[in-house]
Amino acid sequence: MNIRDLHDDQDDGLPPSADILAGEYVLGVLEASERAEAERRIAADPGFARLVAQWEARLAPLLASLGTEAVPAHLWPRIRTGLGWPALAAAPPRAWQRTGFWQGMTALAAGVALVAVFSRRDLETAAPAAPPVAVTPAPPPAEPEQATRPVTPLLHEDGTPGWLASVDKAVGKVLMVPVPTAADAQGRAPELWLIPAGGAPRSLGLVSIDRAHTVQVPASLRNDLINGSVLAITLEPSGGAPRGVPTGPVIAKGDIANL
Amino acid sequence: MPELDTTDPGASARLDDLLGRVAQGDRQAFASVYQLASGRLFAICLHVLRDRGDAEDVLQDVFTSVWHKAAQFDRAKAAAMTWMSMMARNRAIDRLRAAPPRAMDDLSVIEGLPDGAAQPALAAERASDRERLEHCLDTLESKRRTLIRAAFLDGSSYDELARRIGSPLGSVKSWIRRGLGQLRVCLER
Repeated sequence: MNIRDLHDDQDDGLPPSADILAGEYVLGVLEASERAEAERRIAADPGFARLVAQWEARLAPLLASLGTEAVPAHLWPRIRTGLGWPALAAAPPRAWQRTGFWQGMTALAAGVALVAVFSRRDLETAAPAAPPVAVTPAPPPAEPEQATRPVTPLLHEDGTPGWLASVDKAVGKVLMVPVPTAADAQGRAPELWLIPAGGAPRSLGLVSIDRAHTVQVPASLRNDLINGSVLAITLEPSGGAPRGVPTGPVIAKGDIANL
Repeated sequence: MPELDTTDPGASARLDDLLGRVAQGDRQAFASVYQLASGRLFAICLHVLRDRGDAEDVLQDVFTSVWHKAAQFDRAKAAAMTWMSMMARNRAIDRLRAAPPRAMDDLSVIEGLPDGAAQPALAAERASDRERLEHCLDTLESKRRTLIRAAFLDGSSYDELARRIGSPLGSVKSWIRRGLGQLRVCLER
């Protein structure tokens, strides 16, 4: 403690040193006119600019405590438009995008790619906050040819897509790509059902709400992966519908598209 | 959506590289920067502005500037995330200062003020930047620490801080200036 600290709560009325002023600017405590003055000084005085940069480096780590906030999906198109760029279009894959850097993007990327295959309009409404130009299906689970298979969108009641199902009848597989959403508040899990025309729902198991994965269809049901059958998702207890019969509400469904 | 892991030096360097490519006019790199950084920058704007519409406007403004000014980014001087974060904070604070005074939480409720003791300085060896900063903040008297945090994270002005803490403006200035001085000394130790 130095002698000044004995008078801790008194403003001595002296202007602060350049270093403290730089700290005050970075801290954000100055009023508009003082900020403008500091900004003029940053532009004109390299020494002061350096002091500001030092304070920025010192304090920036504190911002990590704020975490992240989901950015609304409409903002990226708005930024592009503001920059005078053309409307969104899917870009071809690039090598650097297949590195581990993008592993976390798998579900999202496959989702956007599949939506793009299905319909451009859905891309606008369904694309998550990520910019579609940069996404590409990562090798697992969407092999290149898979993205071109018929896609059945499983729509919520309001018409927005909840999942996209890419059906491969030949091998009895359905690639399920969720449009990321919040988990059910009651802890229920989404379960996928195949409903043949005029038949009873048959469970294909639980599906994820945040990542793409492949659902294996039992051999006995493969012949029902056809036009006229319906794929539906219900909310079930976390272990799945107890007796293989849906018990919860239907949250998304779609007719299997032309195969 | 993947976000930048600020504790990973590799991720930070990749963001620096991406920004270098944005400076060359690489739109795909720009999209990648958006994916990695937008969530953090939005949190910063939202925390200062407390209004989603305002925060969205500022975030758009920030990314527009990132596109146009990426060439001014100098990785020798700052990390890309720091450069963009400070731009976001400054734009958000400028917008805040242009608006009428707002009602904010009473700081004396948040932390036991005014006379909490400083915590003893512990030997901080090989700590990350954030750990070092937190450690040094902890060595400040609680009043100073609270004010500095609130100023930096909420974008509160001296006036607003004085109202929030219920103390005279001159005292708040004095506490913060001395706190800043102590903080610098601790961080440079």
